[in-house]
Amino acid sequence: PPAPLGFTDVNLNSRNTYEVSRRRSAPEHLPHGGTAPAEPDPPPQEPAERARHRVGIAGAGSSFAEFFTRNFFTKRTKELKPAVQSAPGWKLFGKVPPRENLPKDSKIIQQEYEARTGRMYKPPPPSARRKNIEFEPLSTTALILEDRPANLPAKSVEEALRHRQEYDEMVAEAKKREIKEAHKRKKIMRERFKQEENIASAMVIWVNEILPNWEGMRATRRVRELWWQGLPPSVRGKVWSLAVGNELNITPELYEIFLSRAKERWKSFSETSTENDIEDAGASVADREASLELIKLDISRTFPSLYIFQKGGPYHDLLHSVLGAYTCYRPDVGYVQGMSFIAAVLILNLEEADAFIAFANLLNKPCQLAFFRVDHSMMLKYFAAFEVFFEENLPKLFLHFKSYSLTPDIYLIDWIFTLYSKSLPLDLACRVWDVFCRDGEEFLFRTGLGILRLYEDILLQMDFIHIAQFLTKLPEDITSEKLFSCIAAIQMQNSNKKWAQVFASLMKDNKEGDKNHSPAPKS
Amino acid sequence: HFFFFQSSDFLFKFLVIGNAGTGKSCLLHQFIEKKFKDDSNHTIGVEFGSKIINVGGKYVKLQIWDTAGQERFRSVTRSYYRGAAGALLVYDITSRETYNALTNWLTDARMLASQNIVIILCGNKKDLDADREVTFLEASRFAQENELMFLETSALTGENVEEAFVQCARKILNKIESGELDPERMGSGIQYGDAALRQLRSPRRAQAQSAQECGC
Repeated sequence: PPAPLGFTDVNLNSRNTYEVSRRRSAPEHLPHGGTAPAEPDPPPQEPAERARHRVGIAGAGSSFAEFFTRNFFTKRTKELKPAVQSAPGWKLFGKVPPRENLPKDSKIIQQEYEARTGRMYKPPPPSARRKNIEFEPLSTTALILEDRPANLPAKSVEEALRHRQEYDEMVAEAKKREIKEAHKRKKIMRERFKQEENIASAMVIWVNEILPNWEGMRATRRVRELWWQGLPPSVRGKVWSLAVGNELNITPELYEIFLSRAKERWKSFSETSTENDIEDAGASVADREASLELIKLDISRTFPSLYIFQKGGPYHDLLHSVLGAYTCYRPDVGYVQGMSFIAAVLILNLEEADAFIAFANLLNKPCQLAFFRVDHSMMLKYFAAFEVFFEENLPKLFLHFKSYSLTPDIYLIDWIFTLYSKSLPLDLACRVWDVFCRDGEEFLFRTGLGILRLYEDILLQMDFIHIAQFLTKLPEDITSEKLFSCIAAIQMQNSNKKWAQVFASLMKDNKEGDKNHSPAPKS
Repeated sequence: HFFFFQSSDFLFKFLVIGNAGTGKSCLLHQFIEKKFKDDSNHTIGVEFGSKIINVGGKYVKLQIWDTAGQERFRSVTRSYYRGAAGALLVYDITSRETYNALTNWLTDARMLASQNIVIILCGNKKDLDADREVTFLEASRFAQENELMFLETSALTGENVEEAFVQCARKILNKIESGELDPERMGSGIQYGDAALRQLRSPRRAQAQSAQECGC
């Protein structure tokens, strides 16, 4: 086969190829979950023959082909399962039945190509491209020659025959792959089905056995193990509520009272704010009003990709109410950034008043209170305790971080303030919450170590700024299986001391230290 | 801290500070990605960005610390000021409140970062001119009085965003050249990049070094 033809094809189509590659690589950066419809689908206006044409190009420039396969297949199989089902590539081969094809010679195919260009449309065939890697130039050349332009001499009979044969081989190969893919899909479906069955059976156990005997069963080994597996979404809110408890004895009526107080305040605030006299107002009033403004601002910046908490979204007012009522209930704490994420996750799993009750009680836990009051010296104690277990579990990484003076506050602040709901995918964050409700604050720090363990190898290669960037913006494709096996591998024991003991001894050091030093200035 | 980077002459630590909702993270995102991030979260604690820019033939790597804006976080974010060579002090031209807070931010930065910290004042959301509450003149007067550089920026359109970072870096470079700033001094927020380090070492070692750095 004459080489110049191949080149012509590359020139003709390289632009299209590039466009496709751009279109295709874009979804890689989309956030996880429910992204399938958002994928910028290639316009259906893709001539079948042009697509086939590209097969030739891919053969000519295998780097292109590799680029495609890499971008496509990881994506397609991972995120766009429904799309795989009708992977358009198979249409290319499936739609043209070999029988109908047999009598056609290259001339006819070529004419068809010309006739169809710009008229008959089809999405590009990702699988066709993939084949190219395995098919050596011979077969791809055949495809190129099928597309040989009319102004060039036609193929010889012998050549055309050989190409037909190769084409049939490709079809056969494609069919084989199709069957293999179908098996894979079936397996995935089976696994998903099994998972759903597990959730369903777990739900039955939670509803029928555990919840009615909550106090008696919550600490049993069986329940704790089931709990670790993740709570079924239908009982999640209920179990969280029970586990968090209601030490503060908040009733739904009390919530209504604080909510109406918050509403009054918003009303008076919107009336006075027009006068623009915030400057002269007392500091506490200004601060409170600023915090009301900030709630408004932050609600729209809470899970923005879900489009449910933003203005006009179904949960906007709910989130506003819960946060507003809290600032009236706990003026000593007020609204602190990070809270909106916690309240949002609760609202997604609980009724309004129950969400508020869980929210207030959750924030009343010592660790959360220390953080949301931004009690810097207490926060440092938590970080110090974290470092004890960091060094114990991941000594190499610990030294690596130390060598860059990379302190845990840099990544832990975001993780702890939002209970991982901002940094992990939401479903995974909920699973962290599950066990956090079971094990308490210790699990938050254990999760942090799990994340570090999960990415230890990569982190060891990075310098300060890359680690800091990486940990404050975790990869979106983090999976629960991997993360939870890493968390499970983290030992919360330091020379026979557990988290609580390590933390208590750090607190004791602090008190003794206080006698000698004046406390660090706080803002 | 020891930093080794691909062909940069200097490393500058930069801060982005200012009230909540003024667009600090969006400025950073626009500077690095050349895109407006319209679904951005609020920053809790600190986030990071880095970029190598060319300033008058010198390659400068900026290590940018993008801090949380809420007053309550001040005690946390203050601890990140140390050793910063430059800062973007951001307010929102449509919010006088964010402008009124500038003095506090400025005091903190001068006190905690370094006396010589180079600060550029950024009046962000320039695209929202209809809702403007702070005039250009007023802010530029404030900048002059406080020895700040000043630009009005738009993280949405990208106007003056790159300029803000570059102008700040240029001023630091000028100060280094005039001897006013000494990169060797602790806490200057300036370090030599690997290109500069290469000159200090034997060429062969430097080569091995840069080979190792590839891909990180």
